[in-house]
Amino acid sequence: MLRMAEALRRALNLGSSAESEEYTTEAGPPLLLLGGPGSGKTALLFTAALEAAGEGRGPVLFLTRRPLQSLPRGRGAALDPLRLQKIRFQYPPSTHELLQLLCSAHEARGPAPSLLLLDGLEEYLVGDWGPQEVAYLAALLLDTAAHFSHQIGPGQGCGLIVALQIQEQGDSGDALQLSLLQRYFPAQCWLQVDAQGPGQHCLRACLDPGGQGPRAEWWVAFRPDGEMTVTPWPAQAGNPSSDKGSSSEGQP
Amino acid sequence: MAVALPGVTLPSVVEELLSEMAAAVQENAQIPDEHLLSLKFIFGSSAIQALDLVDRQSITLISSPSGRRVYQVLGSSGRTYTCLASCHYCSCPAFAFSVLRKNDSLLCKHLLAVYLSQVTRTCRQLQVSDKQLTDILFTKKKQEA
Repeated sequence: MLRMAEALRRALNLGSSAESEEYTTEAGPPLLLLGGPGSGKTALLFTAALEAAGEGRGPVLFLTRRPLQSLPRGRGAALDPLRLQKIRFQYPPSTHELLQLLCSAHEARGPAPSLLLLDGLEEYLVGDWGPQEVAYLAALLLDTAAHFSHQIGPGQGCGLIVALQIQEQGDSGDALQLSLLQRYFPAQCWLQVDAQGPGQHCLRACLDPGGQGPRAEWWVAFRPDGEMTVTPWPAQAGNPSSDKGSSSEGQP
Repeated sequence: MAVALPGVTLPSVVEELLSEMAAAVQENAQIPDEHLLSLKFIFGSSAIQALDLVDRQSITLISSPSGRRVYQVLGSSGRTYTCLASCHYCSCPAFAFSVLRKNDSLLCKHLLAVYLSQVTRTCRQLQVSDKQLTDILFTKKKQEA
């Protein structure tokens, strides 16, 4: 169980080397987590938060408009309070406040976060947003994470994962918005509810590291008690048939 | 081979050109003609405009005690545009149009000028307070309204 979440976290972090001198984080490229409502984005973000909090590096900054209704378990039977303490939740109520938070992130005292998470980006993009505004928000998220990485110094830097809810029947405006975001978030992980996978509430996660590695797919299952398991999707060419993954531990 | 990530990194051919230019500038304090030609080939008229901005020392690197940085470029129109240091974003309309919307340019002339000023080391430097840096990052959006 330990290794599964670790594999997922490492998968989310991707752990690639720096691409350019300006972008010095080694925590992997920024990741965009995409899926429809109820596809497990929040749970996955929170799992990443718990994992990062347990690493003993820096706090985790978790931004979302509304407080989480329930805390997904992630791995393990109980939530470790020491880890929870290291996750700083902030709830910018509007886009304006979110932008202000990001622009002033360097003013904050205290240790720099090792992971910056934003849940529900779509809630901050409502209204009349042109490409410039969308790009500005995405770029500021990257810039904030880059600043935290700079503060942390050489090493892993600060990771960035942003969750965006997408519609099945999005319009062209949505498509444009998404392609803009994909400029700044080269790595994407798509989540989809999958009734065929193991476990009761099962999702299929498809990770595209954006040119820094091969694509990979997993089943992510949530048990009734909230515990999460990750199983590699059986490697097959295009036919997600009834070949259900075994319950063995996932490999990195 | 590394893939260019449009908002974050440059294609490797551009990276190579810039580092060759940097090496040449270190030796001769001048960008060789062949590099200028390559620049023009890749970036078209933006290259000339960007070089002009560099010549006029129009690029300023603004930093605060926190270590966070941002670039400001004084455009030919007299307006100041803000370019982020960590990824490709410029507050100018050409960035929104040619780069983001039409996707037929990699960079606007201001972002290219930032890269070139790094190569030629002709960037002005300005120290501001943490609070002032926040204002620079935050209000620029309203400037373009």
